[in-house]
Amino acid sequence: MAFDSTYTRELPLVDSRSSFAEIDDTVLAPTERKPSKKWFVAFLMANTALLIGAICVGYTLYYGIGMWGNNNPVGWGFDIINFVFWIGIGHAGTLISAILFLFRQKWRTAIARFAEAMTIFAVMTAGIFPILHTGRPWLAGYLLPYPNQNALWVNFTSPLLWDVFAVSTYLTISFVFWGIGLIPDIALMRARAVSGIKKSIYAILSLGWKGSNRDWQNYERVYLILAGLSTPLVLSVHTIVSFDFAVSVIPGWHTTIFPPYFVAGAIFSGFGMVSTCLIILRKVYDMENIITLNHIEKMNKILLATGTMVGYAYGMEFFIAWYSGNPFESFVFINRAFGPYAWAYWIMIACNVGFPQLFWFKKIRRNIGITFVLVLLVNVGMWFERFVIIVTSLHRDFLPASWGMYIPTMYDLGILLGSFGLFFTLLLLFVKVMPSVSLAEIKAVVPGAQPTHHHHSEEH
Amino acid sequence: MDTVNKPISDKVSKLGYALTGIGLLIIVASFLTNKQRGAFDYLWIYMFLTSVGIGGLALTALEYLVGATWSVPFRRVCEFLAGIIPLLIILVVPLIFTMGDLFHWLHPEPGDEILAAKKPYLNMNFFLIRVAFCIVVWFIFYFFFTRNSKKQDTTKEPGLTRTNIKLSVVFAPLFFISMTMAAIDWMMSLEPHWYSTIYGVYYFAGTIVCTLAIVTFISIHLKENGYLNPRVSNDHFYSLGTLLFGFNIFWAYIAFSQFVLVWYADIPEETVWYMQRWHHGWQYVSLGLLFFHFVIPFLILLPRSIKVNLKVLKVMSVWMVLAHMLDLYWLIMPTYSSSPVFGWQELGMLLFAPGLIIVVFTMKANKENITPVGDPKLEAGLNFTL
Repeated sequence: MAFDSTYTRELPLVDSRSSFAEIDDTVLAPTERKPSKKWFVAFLMANTALLIGAICVGYTLYYGIGMWGNNNPVGWGFDIINFVFWIGIGHAGTLISAILFLFRQKWRTAIARFAEAMTIFAVMTAGIFPILHTGRPWLAGYLLPYPNQNALWVNFTSPLLWDVFAVSTYLTISFVFWGIGLIPDIALMRARAVSGIKKSIYAILSLGWKGSNRDWQNYERVYLILAGLSTPLVLSVHTIVSFDFAVSVIPGWHTTIFPPYFVAGAIFSGFGMVSTCLIILRKVYDMENIITLNHIEKMNKILLATGTMVGYAYGMEFFIAWYSGNPFESFVFINRAFGPYAWAYWIMIACNVGFPQLFWFKKIRRNIGITFVLVLLVNVGMWFERFVIIVTSLHRDFLPASWGMYIPTMYDLGILLGSFGLFFTLLLLFVKVMPSVSLAEIKAVVPGAQPTHHHHSEEH
Repeated sequence: MDTVNKPISDKVSKLGYALTGIGLLIIVASFLTNKQRGAFDYLWIYMFLTSVGIGGLALTALEYLVGATWSVPFRRVCEFLAGIIPLLIILVVPLIFTMGDLFHWLHPEPGDEILAAKKPYLNMNFFLIRVAFCIVVWFIFYFFFTRNSKKQDTTKEPGLTRTNIKLSVVFAPLFFISMTMAAIDWMMSLEPHWYSTIYGVYYFAGTIVCTLAIVTFISIHLKENGYLNPRVSNDHFYSLGTLLFGFNIFWAYIAFSQFVLVWYADIPEETVWYMQRWHHGWQYVSLGLLFFHFVIPFLILLPRSIKVNLKVLKVMSVWMVLAHMLDLYWLIMPTYSSSPVFGWQELGMLLFAPGLIIVVFTMKANKENITPVGDPKLEAGLNFTL
């Protein structure tokens, strides 16, 4: 909670005493008017990137994954790097909406909706990669265990299969959580809609919401239950992603700190992406009094905390690699820091551990320009973290005879670009058709909205 | 402000002194009959008290760090528990004189290349420097946190809250580093060949569970006997119970992560540690830990109604403290004995540690306010409702 300098009065979560109508107008404006030129330019750019990605995927499907830079010994390349990167991004949404909800962090209300949407799109984007990675995506149906004539079963002891379960469960629950949260807002849009088609679409999506006492009661209960369900899911998804690496016996991959380290990293990268998008969104749609500087500052604090946790994990890995006395372990880490991919390693360290340390200073936390640069660097750093983990652990195998280098092809780069294209296309469509801020929730934290005794609200 | 300021009843402090005294006798007797067993038992006690001391300090810092209000009415409980930290300076001395009995790395077999390679870290001098570093860091922060907090009782100066917030920010990274060091040095290096990167996090998780349990127990006890402001309500205890529940899941998560990765990769250097804990009776302790520390408390603490049922919550707090003792026993004792031992020697833990906590707490509570009356966030904390 944020306080004034006497620590007796809580700072309001929404700037200025905006009326509910004003908030409605601000948040719903993008959905009710024709998109601006800027939006079309952004959409065009995202679509172009998506198209390039689609072409590269087409080539991959036609010719096979030989189009990629994956080789022996580096059998996992951009495919898995991008998968882990996007799954990581997909962590902030549910963390903000579920875990911060359980922690009663009311400031989450302004950013939760957008972060949840981002989560869903990021997980969808991520899902593409392991399916392409299988090499024969048309057989991906076999990843689901079902009794079949050939008695073909999946390998239940493989963490890659656990991924299938974890990610699909996470996507489902996140989607339901997001959808439930949208109902009251969609009902409001239904009420405001002018055109008949719009009205009937919103009427269907709002599931007959009347805003009655009973509606709200059920809504709150479902929301709490879903928050409770989502919380272990958030942690489990990246835990299982970390298992993909850590259950192996590859030095650099097999280390016990991987699960919490990956979760911290995922939250870090997720917040990085949320912050990146929100800084633009609040500016473009004049939401600066709803998504305030205080929100940016709080997210920056979370970035600092999680970035430092990731730093702790880097340090522990390095120390234990030496402490273990295992020459292969220490080789991998020395090779990471000083080998041919040292540049990637130092980009990772600088962006994830180094630069976020600037957030120790309040001035920087509250400076939008610097924050924007730093969160962009977080995105870069977290992509490189996965690059470092995957490529540097593999490229120098146990025997020097089987050493190699990994160089991505233009198809790898094209698909990476395409993944950003897909993500931003979906995001731009989302801000066009849905309220980016949860109106029902934000109204509850507007000063004076709390149904408490008068003296009570003064003291808080 | 309706703050109660009556001394803790004599019975409690007498109980504390009695437990500490008997516990101390057992510890001494244990050392005299079997020095090595005494040393391991004492390490067990020392690590438990470290848990409570630094856990109390960490929770104090956490409140400042995250700007919580609901916990202000019982922040003093955490501060008083952190009062164990100055005693660690004395408590650590017997360990330093029995290091030879504890640590295999002090006298490795000739030709043990791995231990020879670890010499730059695992050697007497550097070890002592690290031990001193940790205790000094904890002590410095304990001193400043509590001094500012105490000063605020009379001055009511909000600037002191600001100072403590700044301190908490600096303390956070130092705490993680020092706590990891303590865990690795005192416990992980008992098996000097074995290593696990998550070890520090594991100890952290247990520490917080244990300290939260003690804070819950003491707070309920204070509430029942009218020491706390009557406005401290079930909503406050619900929050404590939820945190206890949550951190216990975190502990299980960390424990599971470590176990499943070691089990799955099946590398002999790593599995050896679990193999030790899976033979000659230790398997029952391991399974017991799983159920006693996680499964049963998880099921009991899950319903909301339990977290506001102070009687059950009180029992569960004691339960969780015992679970942390069992956890530390499981971490430390397999190095001493290939099968689990529990005799009169181990009663030292059960008597001395709670006794000392009671003594420290009552001494502090009789000298200082149990409620931080000058804290500007106190009013908001007392008004806290779900």
